[in-house]
Amino acid sequence: MLLGLLSFGMLGILHKLADVKKGRPPAINALLAVSSLVMVFGFVLFGTVGGPVVPRVVALVAIPFGISASVAILAFQAGVKHGHIATSWLAINLSAGIPTVASILIYDEPVGTAKALALALIPVSMFLLWQDKKQQERRS
Amino acid sequence: MTEERDAATWLQLMLVAFVANGIGPFGLKILTELGLATTYQAQYLLYWYLGGFVFAAAALWRSGLRPRGSEIRLGALMGGCSLLGQSFTGLALANGMPGHVVFPITTGGSLFLVAAAGLLLFKEKVGPYGLAGMVLGIAALVGLSLG
Repeated sequence: MLLGLLSFGMLGILHKLADVKKGRPPAINALLAVSSLVMVFGFVLFGTVGGPVVPRVVALVAIPFGISASVAILAFQAGVKHGHIATSWLAINLSAGIPTVASILIYDEPVGTAKALALALIPVSMFLLWQDKKQQERRS
Repeated sequence: MTEERDAATWLQLMLVAFVANGIGPFGLKILTELGLATTYQAQYLLYWYLGGFVFAAAALWRSGLRPRGSEIRLGALMGGCSLLGQSFTGLALANGMPGHVVFPITTGGSLFLVAAAGLLLFKEKVGPYGLAGMVLGIAALVGLSLG
């Protein structure tokens, strides 16, 4: 669990480092995608019984959602150039609310008080982060 | 207002990243509802990353850029971190650690780590609105994991 925390934390720090080193978002996104793909391909090939052969529906579901995640990384890497990593990383992580809302709307998942309160806090937090960004802009 | 620090551009790009990143994991939920997630989770990830790679390769080709050495190293490291983060979280869950413990700690902890690095390592200055937004945002994410 601690290693998971450190890995995700390092990922955020590397996004900022890539910006500091003048990394160009399309190149960073492509290299991130190809390295992940190669590693997963190796795992599926040697670490699973069935290998990469799957029912068509699995690939048909996976590919568009993978494209969406790649769009997110590209936009995020481009956005870090215009803001702080401390707030930008939070902004992208707040997107965890979207699959939660989608599950509630599409699959009628129950909504407890804690979840409802957490979902209500997301737009408030985003608004505050944007206000902070605007304030920085006025200062500079 | 400089091009490098533009609040409107930051908000637009973060909203795109926010929505697209939020949609990204939902495929796994669909797979679960179809009853295929247990058998094909690793293969699903393979095709998920393949979709991401096709888009990223097209975007790179369209930009006409050639990756530099530093970008190759950083991109590879980032890919490794992304995959390790998913794998270690999955391992913690597979070893009996409950989700309501694993998710708040990995999400909240990594946010705290990145915020600390931003403030201390990269000397970023976050104002009172930003700090309040960060506290509420971390609370929201921990709340989502617990709920």
